[in-house]
Order: sequence, then C-alpha cells, then structure tokens
Amino acid sequence: MNNQSFDPRVNRLKLGNADEPIKVEEGENWNSYEVFHQEKRGAHHEHVGCVHAPDPQMALVFAKEQFGRRKKCVNLWVVRSADILAFDAEDEDMFANNQEKTYRDASGFKVMEKINKVKGSKAP
Amino acid sequence: MMKNAIAELITKMADDELILGHRNSEWTGLGPVMEEDIAFSSMAQDKIGHAWALYRILQEQLDGEDPDQFAFMRAEQDFKCCHLVEMPIGTYDFSLMRHFLFDHAEAVRYDSLQQSSFEPLQQLSRKLKGELKYHTLHADAWILQLCKAGGESYERMQAALDQCFPLAAGIFEPGNDEQGLINAGIYPGEQALYQRWLDAVNTVLVKASLNMPDPATLIPQYGGRKGNHTPHLQPLLQEMGEVFRLDPTARW
Amino acid sequence: MYGGGYIFDEPNKKQLRDEQLHDDPEKLAAFEDRIARGEKIEPGDWMPVEYRRQLIRLIEQHAHSEVIGALPEGTWITRAPGFKRKLALIAKVQDEVGHGQLLYNAAETLGKTRESMINDLLSGKSKYSNVFNYPAMTWADVTVIGFLIDAAAIVNQVANSKGSYGPYCRALERICYEESFHLKQGHDALLELATGTPMQKAMLQDALNRWWQPIMHFFGPPDKVSSHSEKLMQWKVKMASNDDMRNQFLDTYVPKIWELGLSLPDPLLHKNTATGRWEYTDPDWDLFFKVINGDGPCNKERLQVRRWAEAEGRWVRKALMNISERKAMPVA
Repeated sequence: MNNQSFDPRVNRLKLGNADEPIKVEEGENWNSYEVFHQEKRGAHHEHVGCVHAPDPQMALVFAKEQFGRRKKCVNLWVVRSADILAFDAEDEDMFANNQEKTYRDASGFKVMEKINKVKGSKAP
Repeated sequence: MMKNAIAELITKMADDELILGHRNSEWTGLGPVMEEDIAFSSMAQDKIGHAWALYRILQEQLDGEDPDQFAFMRAEQDFKCCHLVEMPIGTYDFSLMRHFLFDHAEAVRYDSLQQSSFEPLQQLSRKLKGELKYHTLHADAWILQLCKAGGESYERMQAALDQCFPLAAGIFEPGNDEQGLINAGIYPGEQALYQRWLDAVNTVLVKASLNMPDPATLIPQYGGRKGNHTPHLQPLLQEMGEVFRLDPTARW
Repeated sequence: MYGGGYIFDEPNKKQLRDEQLHDDPEKLAAFEDRIARGEKIEPGDWMPVEYRRQLIRLIEQHAHSEVIGALPEGTWITRAPGFKRKLALIAKVQDEVGHGQLLYNAAETLGKTRESMINDLLSGKSKYSNVFNYPAMTWADVTVIGFLIDAAAIVNQVANSKGSYGPYCRALERICYEESFHLKQGHDALLELATGTPMQKAMLQDALNRWWQPIMHFFGPPDKVSSHSEKLMQWKVKMASNDDMRNQFLDTYVPKIWELGLSLPDPLLHKNTATGRWEYTDPDWDLFFKVINGDGPCNKERLQVRRWAEAEGRWVRKALMNISERKAMPVA
C-alpha cells in the first residue's frame, strides 16, 4: 500500500501481497454446529444459533464466547447441524388439530359440574 | 519494605497483562475465522481487565497512582513487563503459542495466589479462576488440534514454540526482595512458579508431540523486569497514550 | 453494528425477475397470505425464487457491513484513552464481528455458504455499507460513529427485525439488544468531548462535519429515485422507505446533537412543523454512487485488509478442514 493507513495496526501488517485475488475454498470455514444455551441450573437448554467449527470440541470453545459472553449462562450444548432431524415445514398440518383434542387437556373435564350435580340431587 | 516488593510484583504482573492484552486485541476483526476472532478478543479484554484490577489494588492498597495515568502515561523504563508480551502479533502461530505459554504461566501464578497472605491478591485470584480456566482450555485445544493436523501446521507450531520459549521463560525473571515475599507467604517466588509452569506446559506439549526446548540449556530472555525493553515496546506505549497526551488534564 | 441501510442492486436482477414468473401461482398466493397474516417464513418453507435471492443479498450485505465495519473503529483500539473506553471499544468491535457471524448464519439457511459470501466480498461483487469507506481520523470520529452511525443502524435494524424471514429476525433481535450498548457507549464518549475542553469540542465538531454527508447517505437515495419494488415491501423484505428511515433518524438524533451546542454542516437542515418532515440539502448522490463503485477514500484499504486477514488465516482453517465430514447448513 502506498499511503499510510490511519490504523497503526494496518501499518504494521504486511499488506504487500494483499492485492492478489484470494478465493476461500468451500469447507474452509468448517462445519455448522447448532448451539443450545442453558441460562440457569434446572432450566431447559434453548437453541440460540450456531457456530462454524472443525469438530465438537472447538464448537464448544467457540460457542462459549459467541453465545455465552454476555447474558447469564451456566452451560452450553453443541450438535452438528447435519445431525438435527426435523419435520418438513409443510408437515405443519399434522399438528393442526391438537387444540381440538380436549380429552388431552385438564380443561376437557368438567369435574365440578358433576360434583355439583351429585350434591344437588342429595339435597333434601 | 514489603510494600515496595508487593508493589513490584503487582506492577510486573499488571504490565504483562496490559501489554499482551493490547497486542492480542490487535487481532480483533482480523482473526483467521470469525468464531476465533470473537474468542481471542474476549481473552484480550480479560487481560486488560486483569491489568486494571491489579493497578486498582496498587492505587487503593499501596498508595499507587490513578490506574489510567499509571497505565497510559508512564515512561518506558518504568514498565516492568517481560519481553514476550512486547513482541508484535506476527503470524497466528506465534500469537497462539504466546497465548498458550503466557496463559499457563498466568494460571499457575494466580493459582498460587489463592493462598497468598496478601488479601487483595488472594481475592482477585479467586475471582479470576474461571476466566483463566477458559483461557488455558482454549489454548490447549488449539495447540493440540494444530499439531495433530501435522504437515505445515505442525511445523509452524514447533517453530513458534522454539521462538517463544526463551521469551516465555523470561516471565520468571527473579525480582528484588523475592525471598521476603516468599517468607511472608505473599507468593511462592519465580523459581517455584517456573517449575510448575514447565510441568503444566510440558503435559500439553507431549500430547501435541512438540519438542520442548531443554530448560537446562535454555537462556531465558531477561531484562523486562528491570526496565530494559525490546524496541517494540516504546512505539506501542506511544500509541496507547496518544489520545491522552493531546490534553493530559482533560477527561476522555 | 450496522444495517446495510441500503440494498445495492446487482446487474443480473432482470434475469432473475423472469425466473420469478415460474413460481407456482398457488404456492405464491399461500406464501403471500402467510406474510400478510404476519407469520414468519422459515428456512424449509416454500418461497419465491426472487424472495430468496433478495434476502440473501440483503442479509449478506448486512453481514459484510458488520465485518468491514469492524475496521474503521478497530483503528482506535490501541489508542482508546483509558481502561473504560478501551474495553468498551474492543467489546464493541468484537460485537460487530459477532453480528457478522450471526448474519452469515442467517443467510446460510437460504442456501449460500459463508465461504461463497466471503469470496463475493473479497472480489467486490457483493457490497457493504458505504459509510465504512471513510476513515476514522481522530478519536472524535470513533465517538461520532459509535453514536450516530450506530443510531442510524438501529433505525434500520429495528425496522428489519419486523420483517418476514424468521432466522434474520432472530439474529436482529440479538443484534439490536447489543446495539443498545453500542449506542450508549458512543453517546457517553461523545458527551465527554462535547462537555470537555475547547480543544475536545473542536475535535468533535470537525468529526461531525466530516461524517455528516456519509450519514445522510446511509439510508440510500431518496424515494423518488430509488428503484425498490413494492414487492419487497409486500414480502416484508424491505420494511420502510429510505426517506422514512432517514426522517426517523433525523427526528430523534438531530436534536440530541443540537442540544449539546454542536452544529451540523447543513444550513437548510430543519424540521418543517407543518409536515412533520425534516428538510435538508440533498447530499451529493453522485459521490454516493462513486464511492459504492470503489472510489471512496478507504475502499481499497478495507478490502486489502480483509484479503490480508483471509490469506493470513488460511493455513489455520485448512489445517483443521475435514472434507469427509457430513455437512449441512445451519437449520434455523
């Protein structure tokens, strides 16, 4: 570079060859790992994003700073993105009728009504 | 008397962290991969934070100066940092190896301070325990992986180790009144820390199949603790104080 | 830090517009209904070709802006005055890299790899926010960037975080949270100068004068000449017009500068109380396009530094590359 940079760090770098084109190879930024963050003991681990890493150990080392450097965190999980199995987005309709199946829900059972009825019939 | 010796111990520890923290922070935005850029920057911040905490102990317990003034306006010969931390960032192999050797030395030192009879250092070392654990975990993981990768990567790490090792041994340059500090239970002394450090780094170097230079024939690079520095320190100090010096009486 | 502010067009736009015609009309209608209902689109969902392409372009440019945006402020890391400013600045520049990381991940869910995005940045094919092609000449510049450019970015990012693409919205949520720290530390450092010695005030005023035009450029050309389609608004890719965002920024931040007794280098700058809109001298838009096309004061250095970093880090990345491993894009 001909001109001095305003950045003293840049002036210390040897930018001599930096005009040559450079192409990053596919895979050079390694593989994708999903990161799960536990905010406090007893809480679920929640998905917060992902890191690129060469293996699970480095993924954990990287996740600690990218996803644990600010907010409260007591533990992290990492798992290869390729190992996540999920339903297809278009299969969302499989879950559509859940709300109607009230026999799975406490609100589906009118216990008090029955008790009141029994109490009512016993009254003198 | 003891006060001066404690101040000297804290000053050299703090100066090391201040200068290496600055060096390592130069990688922020320029790291080999984004995730590592972030991790390395965090650890640089930690180092500068440790220096700040130590300068505050000087100020509050030992009649020292304001930490900003002391850190950024002092003359070069009054700095007590070792030569290892003064070197420019070089290439990433050098920076990583320096980080590995320095952070293990730091871990060994703070670990010993958990038993210090000087209360403020004891408290600080307990507070920093977890932070230092991450630093050495990070360093060990990198050293092992880059060495196991073999080829150019392994050769680079061995060359970086050869270059850094005498500089790193200079961390343990004997201080004045060290025996007094040892007798008073302030810390175990440089020689003892050096031995513990050799054990700690050797364990990892063996796993990484790296050849540690023979400590018996090694000539440690001393001088920093006496205020004699490499030519790399002065320009960095100039930079660190550049804005302050525009108007030393102003608040920034 | 920084929302791209303005999505630059690519030359091959027309060609892909034609492809869009081949989108299944039924699926397209369902997709548009979903967005109109305020639902988010997720990576596995069907989406129009043009939606995917525009989002990749938007998120990628945003990511590049973060990565390049780390450079002007990084200039002052070793020189930041005192422990507090120093640590805040390093943490802030680190956040920019972190934001870049989050954004590249979000873009990857759409099918373009991080490597290929980096290559497009290095080759100049893909753009980044113009504002980073200007140098940070003094410490005061850092405070102006930290306060005003981050403020502008927040206006943009808060708008985008209400967009339709789930992974981008989630990344922006975290980014906006961190931006509030950036803005605060920038404001604090700027206030220190504004209330300091005459020399400090003069230094700050100079920096404001230098940065005003790039800041006015930040949100992109005025709506009357901007070619962005209504489709992008309908699809909630672009959430607000350039002029609206600029106006919102001026409305919040110009008073905060004026109240400090500082001036901005535009005699026409004022709020029209009748319309509620800010009026100003049109910045030099020819210059804006000149800088986009590589002719700004720092374009060359910024890309050189990025190329240096990629070249320097290459052996590290290659040493740990594992070609045989099963790979996938981020899932969310």
